[in-house]
Amino acid sequence: MKSLIKEFTKGIIKENPTFVLVLGLCPTLAVSVSVINGIGMGIAATFVLIGSSVIVSLVKGFIPDKIRIPCFIVIIATFVTITELCLKAYSPALNRALGIYVPLIVVNCIVLARAEAFACKNNLVSSFLDGLGMGVGFTLALVLISGIREFLGAGQILGYTLIKGFEPVFVFGMPSGALLVIGLLLGFINLLKNRER
Amino acid sequence: MKNNLIVSGSPHIHNKESVSRIMWTVVISLIPAGIAGVIIFGWDALWVTLVAVFAAVLTEWVCTLLTKKKVTIFDGSAVITGVLLAYNLPSNVPLWLPIVGAVFSIAIGKQIFGGLGQNIFNPALVGRVFLMASWPKYMTTFVKPFNYDAVTSATPLAILKEGKILEHISYGDLFLGRHGGCIGEVCILALLIGAAILLIKGYISWQIPASFILTTAGFTYVFGSSPLFHGDWLFSILSGGLILGAFFMATDYVATPLTAKGQLIFGLGCGLLTAVIRLWGGYPEGVSYAILMMNAATPFIDRYTKNRIYGTR
Amino acid sequence: MSIQEFLSIFISSVFIYNVILSRFLGLCPFVAISKNTKQALAMSGAVTFVIIASSIVTWLIYQFLLLPFNLAYLRTLSFVLVIATLVQLIEMVIRKTSPALYRAFGIYLTLITTNCAVLGAAVLNVDMFFSNGKAVAGSFYYSVFQGACMGLGYTLAMLLMSGIRERLELCNVSKAVKDFPLAFIIASVLSLSFMGFSGFSR
Repeated sequence: MKSLIKEFTKGIIKENPTFVLVLGLCPTLAVSVSVINGIGMGIAATFVLIGSSVIVSLVKGFIPDKIRIPCFIVIIATFVTITELCLKAYSPALNRALGIYVPLIVVNCIVLARAEAFACKNNLVSSFLDGLGMGVGFTLALVLISGIREFLGAGQILGYTLIKGFEPVFVFGMPSGALLVIGLLLGFINLLKNRER
Repeated sequence: MKNNLIVSGSPHIHNKESVSRIMWTVVISLIPAGIAGVIIFGWDALWVTLVAVFAAVLTEWVCTLLTKKKVTIFDGSAVITGVLLAYNLPSNVPLWLPIVGAVFSIAIGKQIFGGLGQNIFNPALVGRVFLMASWPKYMTTFVKPFNYDAVTSATPLAILKEGKILEHISYGDLFLGRHGGCIGEVCILALLIGAAILLIKGYISWQIPASFILTTAGFTYVFGSSPLFHGDWLFSILSGGLILGAFFMATDYVATPLTAKGQLIFGLGCGLLTAVIRLWGGYPEGVSYAILMMNAATPFIDRYTKNRIYGTR
Repeated sequence: MSIQEFLSIFISSVFIYNVILSRFLGLCPFVAISKNTKQALAMSGAVTFVIIASSIVTWLIYQFLLLPFNLAYLRTLSFVLVIATLVQLIEMVIRKTSPALYRAFGIYLTLITTNCAVLGAAVLNVDMFFSNGKAVAGSFYYSVFQGACMGLGYTLAMLLMSGIRERLELCNVSKAVKDFPLAFIIASVLSLSFMGFSGFSR
């Protein structure tokens, strides 16, 4: 049981896909303009992660090794299409906000990497937990980054103005600001890692 | 003169003595423009400049402490960054603006690369572009010259960009700085005095300013208005941040090519980009962006224009 | 179809909405491979080629297969399969015709399948040049041209980045920011400077 819990928690800190594995950066930077978008993308990606990890671990015995990557892609793409359609139907505003990054979940390095590195080698329950953990870790990272960006760039979090009279620093809502935030965050994390040793 | 001394690519091991001398001379050469700024825009200009310098030096001190490097605040380079940043700002900005800009310039534009001699981009411009993107409202509100109350006016280039006709501005006005603009960019006379000091002492090369200014002027002359070959090239030289940029920021030792040929290419690129942005881009002034982009291209320019090692083909 | 439109696609794809610095597509190789100019060039060349090829094929599939049969929602799945297949094909062709080139590309060719830039370009083409389920006039040419420009923008960003990083190899940057963090900060400044191109009107 303990090891199962570990599969879940490792995705959150020790092997956080964004900050430690440095995967899936494209949507992270693009979408993190506001916390709502971050949460939305996180949930969508988590859904795809869990779905694909589970299916891959179920059918891993039947996929010939040579064509496993295209097979994974098909499985992932199916879940992404489901996600796309659901978003279009139930949350068109979020769909528009996330834009092309929803279909791009299919080439999100996190999803493919977990399928390749874990789900095809482990059983159903572990894969499920791994997918869930990675998804949660990804979402948390998104929330952190978009929280910083939304607060500094628009003076708000989730649409609520926090400090009156704060002059928002517009650059954080722009691509340049996103790159800056992730660069500084990664540097900070490296600093912590170096201190640990 | 400068080119005879340099035989290899940066980073160099600097003799601290001579670097300080050069830096402080540059600071002195910038003083005329500062005085002009205060005369034209009032005491606000002085406060902005002092605040920027103070913040820059403080940031550099803190950064060198944190990274356990040698303390370099006395070599004058942080002061230059502070001054140049201030000169790129309107005089009526709230005082926290130059502080944030200076911190950004030094921390991100310079120290994170490892400090003096290793920055890829001109630190003052990095700060300025950051401020422009973050608080465009503050960065584009200027006061009327000689009007020490805050009556706002736009810069000549901004007026042109909106398609309006310029009235009541003569070349003399442009030369002396009798119009709205950033603290250090308006008084061409004062800037040229400072530039002359640096050129005579051989601290800056003539290649970059010459190619920069001539390219911008030439391009504006050809494409500046319809029909072709009718552009107002003199106006383009005397307006905006061209003189300030070409003589004091595009000539940054570290962020620009080493060889004369490379510098000519650098200046040409800057001039071209500036003219294109001025004529067809969304911003009225393109000098800062042009220089930064050419800074980024400098490693390549250096690679292809390096001096041959003696004895090789 | 007008020169205006092509020019505006060129300026926006290469500079204003640069595929890496503004749309954040293709970041993984950008940060991982841009340390060395030769590699950066190889990667950019391969990516550009694949983008152009896939722009053509995905457009054709969308126009003649998906739309007529009301299968537009299958675009993600079909595009991604197309790209994966294309990459395999290209790999095989290069391996047969020019082993030297194949060795030069190395592993990068396979990595292109997961490069967001390629799928992103295909999806963008469809989003931008189709409206209400029909192709706009000149859609095909615009799409292919946009693909080529995105490749060009990709190459530009990679080259600038690799030049800068090669230069920084000689400097003593503090350990915490070495590699990735610094790469992002450089990209941030590059992105700031490219903002100079915004608002281009012609």
